[in-house]
Amino acid sequence: MSRRSKHIDLRTLEGVITFFGSHHAIRAEGVLKRQEISAVLIPGPREISPNCGVAVRFDFNRREEVRALLQEHMVHFEDIHHYPEC
Amino acid sequence: MVYGVRKDRGFERGIVKTLYFDNAATSWPKPKSTLKSMSSFFLKGGGNPGRSGHGRSIGAARIVVQTRELLARLLNVRDSSRIVFTKNATEALNIAIYGLAEERGHIVTSSMEHNSVMRPFTDLQTRGREVSVVKADSSGTVSADDVARELKKNTSLVVLTHASNVTGAVNDIAAIGRICRERGVPLLIDAAQSAGCVPIDVQAMCVDFLAFSGHKGLLGPQGTGGLYIGDERLNEPLMRGGTGSLSDREEQPDFFPDRFESGTLNVIGITGLGAGVEYVLNRGVSNIAAYDAGLMQLFLRELCKDRRYRLYGPCIEHGAHPERSEPGTHNGDSPVRQTGVLSMNIEGQSPSRVGQLLDRDYGIQTRIGLHCAPSAHRTIGTFPDGTVRLSWGLFTTERDVRQVLRALHAIAEKESP
Repeated sequence: MSRRSKHIDLRTLEGVITFFGSHHAIRAEGVLKRQEISAVLIPGPREISPNCGVAVRFDFNRREEVRALLQEHMVHFEDIHHYPEC
Repeated sequence: MVYGVRKDRGFERGIVKTLYFDNAATSWPKPKSTLKSMSSFFLKGGGNPGRSGHGRSIGAARIVVQTRELLARLLNVRDSSRIVFTKNATEALNIAIYGLAEERGHIVTSSMEHNSVMRPFTDLQTRGREVSVVKADSSGTVSADDVARELKKNTSLVVLTHASNVTGAVNDIAAIGRICRERGVPLLIDAAQSAGCVPIDVQAMCVDFLAFSGHKGLLGPQGTGGLYIGDERLNEPLMRGGTGSLSDREEQPDFFPDRFESGTLNVIGITGLGAGVEYVLNRGVSNIAAYDAGLMQLFLRELCKDRRYRLYGPCIEHGAHPERSEPGTHNGDSPVRQTGVLSMNIEGQSPSRVGQLLDRDYGIQTRIGLHCAPSAHRTIGTFPDGTVRLSWGLFTTERDVRQVLRALHAIAEKESP
């Protein structure tokens, strides 16, 4: 996968949110983008996302803010991981 | 063959267009955006949502999520994952009714329900459920007090139509919802005829479950519909199978929407449904209700005073009269009491004959008979012959209504015994 996605360097986004199903992954992307938090849908890495084919890569430094936002908008996620791009 | 609108009897070919007055069966035409979105998905999209991590699958998933979000906005649902897609309202109703009707429980419905409710109820009665049917008045409206009187300690479900597919009568769901909520009884609403035409707010109306059709007032294609599942009392899906999630496990997921959506969704249909819902939201449901009411006025002004016609529905039954008031009028403040559905008969003529003449000689397409709601026709006194049902929509014009009125008068005149 390209290291660049819509001018965002994925190497700067070291957090990955995993989900049980794709509905919430898509919603998470929308919620974060509307708050101007960089969020990119990625194929869910098998070792941390066995349950769902898509995950969201984001700025790990903003994880607490992201957690609160997702809860506020009823986005159900599985976990937030520190998973830098290799 | 193309039917035409005719000035005289006899059949001519290849003339212009039909007049479609059967929107309660399915809406037609659809907005251009419905077709365009589906065509775009077919040609450029494709993909199975929630199955793969590539762009085509994610693109399909985005469309499905967007449609769920639009529906959540329409119905005032807080968590869009609680709206699950089905192939039609009947499937949605079946999921909820069979999932909520407890063993040895008591279930309540009304005498105006469509067979998509009545047939499951009849089946459940043979399987030992106690069933109560609340009788509507002759306009087809159900009273909240009458519903309250039927509730017992072991009542496990109340199912009511929001708007009748026979008379267009709209029930006061907010009043009934408040009673059911106070008594802790789940309330399932059949919104097949009301979604998109009558404002719905599941929070304010205390609605726990709501079934909707995608191909009527929501202006989507056939093969779409859905169920809003408001709380945990409904936990049993009708089907179990692949959901794209938890692929390593052989148990059905317990989270939404996956628990209730097994197998590949009708993604192209849901794409069109999303476009239809967006169109409805942009027009405004209250505006659509007002438009329907305006066309109803045109019919009532001319037909109410004419003894040759027998009309059914709340605007006629509740004493509204075209000269004294504005029957069917709706503004943003007053509740909608009737949808754009008018059941009628011409004195001395069978509805099947009238419907046949309307179609054959005038190209006017209606539905005649019992409309899959025999109990409703028993309630309004039109069983077994039924009625001629005219049902219009956003794309019906005043000119269309005037042409129908001319056709009705011609039939009433020529065919009178």
